[in-house]
Amino acid sequence: MAVEKYLVSLKGSIVNLDFDTVVKVAQEAMEAGVDPRRAINEGMVSGMAIVGEKFEKGEYFLSELVVAAEVMKEGLKVVNPYLKEEGSQRLGKVVIATVEGDHHDLGKGIVTSLLRVHGFEVVDLGVDVATERIIDAVKEHQPDIVGMSALLTLTMPKMGEVIEALKAASFREKVKVILGGTPVTLEFAESIGADHRAVNALEGVKKCVEWVTPQ
Amino acid sequence: MAEMTRRERIMTASGKKRVDKLPFFHIWRHCQIGWVERECRNRGMGMSWARPSYIVEMHGVEVSEQQLMVDGKKVYRRTYSTPVGSIYLDERRDPGSGEWHGLRSWKDVQPWQTERLIKRPEDYEVLKYVVEHTEYVPDYFPIEQAKDWLGEDGLVTDFLPHQPMQMLMIDWIGSEGGRFFIHHAKYPDLVEDLYRAIARSREPMYEIAAKSPADIVWCGDNIDGVLVNPRLFEKYFMPEYEKMAKICHEHGKLLAVHMDGRVGVLKDLITKTPIDIIEALHPPPMGDLPIGEALSLWKDKVIWTGFPGSVYVLGPEATKRHALNLLREVVPGDRLCIEMSTENLVSNENLLMLTSVLENAELPLTREKIDQIERSLS
Repeated sequence: MAVEKYLVSLKGSIVNLDFDTVVKVAQEAMEAGVDPRRAINEGMVSGMAIVGEKFEKGEYFLSELVVAAEVMKEGLKVVNPYLKEEGSQRLGKVVIATVEGDHHDLGKGIVTSLLRVHGFEVVDLGVDVATERIIDAVKEHQPDIVGMSALLTLTMPKMGEVIEALKAASFREKVKVILGGTPVTLEFAESIGADHRAVNALEGVKKCVEWVTPQ
Repeated sequence: MAEMTRRERIMTASGKKRVDKLPFFHIWRHCQIGWVERECRNRGMGMSWARPSYIVEMHGVEVSEQQLMVDGKKVYRRTYSTPVGSIYLDERRDPGSGEWHGLRSWKDVQPWQTERLIKRPEDYEVLKYVVEHTEYVPDYFPIEQAKDWLGEDGLVTDFLPHQPMQMLMIDWIGSEGGRFFIHHAKYPDLVEDLYRAIARSREPMYEIAAKSPADIVWCGDNIDGVLVNPRLFEKYFMPEYEKMAKICHEHGKLLAVHMDGRVGVLKDLITKTPIDIIEALHPPPMGDLPIGEALSLWKDKVIWTGFPGSVYVLGPEATKRHALNLLREVVPGDRLCIEMSTENLVSNENLLMLTSVLENAELPLTREKIDQIERSLS
């Protein structure tokens, strides 16, 4: 099979949410000597871009976005061992967490997957994460962006607490802060001094890409 | 029009007839107890009390619970042992669990499942066994008792749990990391087979509910169009609502379904359902379907709108502004009830403010009447 055919097939397997094909074609492509970087970028990432377009047009829903990211993960499991260390370009670093008292992680999980697909290094602290732990992670990992999620109105004030703690630790000016979660409104985000409130996962990831891309 | 009782207001509005004042009520399990609650109730706030009409009996299933430390935190592990294997779930419970309403914590948060019953493909068979060996037995005492106690102060609804596919999505497979969607894509036959088993097992429950002494049957389905996309809604949810509504209507009951998420993407499909009451609709900024649009689209339905927690977070002034805007959007105010909160506790200040706006909302609402309410609060 020509290289282009492998790439088209990989792209198609992501768009068609096909777990079996992505693994089979990724394996065949690697054995045929296809550059793993091309398999990822021109194959699977291109497929994810189409999935994103379909999501924005309302043809695909969150379920397809989630499954496509999972299909890509399966493909990456095959391709990653063939990647050489050098030249791995990281777009930026994100520390992400669901704030203390809140255990919801669907939105955060999707954002994390999509950020990784786009080349970010993501430090996912999980759910129910105390403010001090987020600050410690920021100090340790020196991210470009801090992402916080909440689905309970009860836990939303924790987001403001984290922003205040970032200020107190002199880190607020060094990071962008993005918020997500159904009850988190623009008005609330502005009131606590966040930089952005994501409307959905894709829009949030676009904003992160924009922040770390030189103008 | 003679002044109606709180119960009459809710029931009459829910029957799509004009009432004297816009019905507003608190959900019992989210409501504080004390002077503000008493004052607000004296000023017209009703109460809605959901209770089940059945008890659950499992046959050939042994259920045990133990406390464990997992990742340094205490969890409660509930294990279901059957002849075909065992499954378990882990829960973390916040302070107050078991001492407030049900297992809700002092802060009105339900226990968090950190491990779901279904983790691997093998778990489906065990859960199917549990489902097929679960019997629903009528027990109308909780509803009769609540009706007796509440009287004309509010409404008792018959509480039904998440319907079959939602049970899988939210409770048993769970959506963490998109697990439900991934299982549905990877193991469609297992998911479908279990869905059908749950649907079969639920039929007696619907009949028990339809025959109960409650005024309204309420399915706590937590619909959000982002999770339950139109394809899923049409294939798995609508048939179930049709089944529920048919038997409820045969017994003269109204069917309410809890749809507290972003339902804009489902609005046309919802129109086609036989649901009588769209309960907990959250307009923007929390949801994505304005109340005016919903009322005009769902002409054969009644809306019980949930007051958004996103607004309460901003305090009493924001609460007042949002409530007044809401009234202006729903003029003349028919086919509508306001729920003070459908998710969390409300502060005394916010509850008083919302009551102050709503207590004088006489129907039919007009711009002048709403302006007058606004002036009285400034």
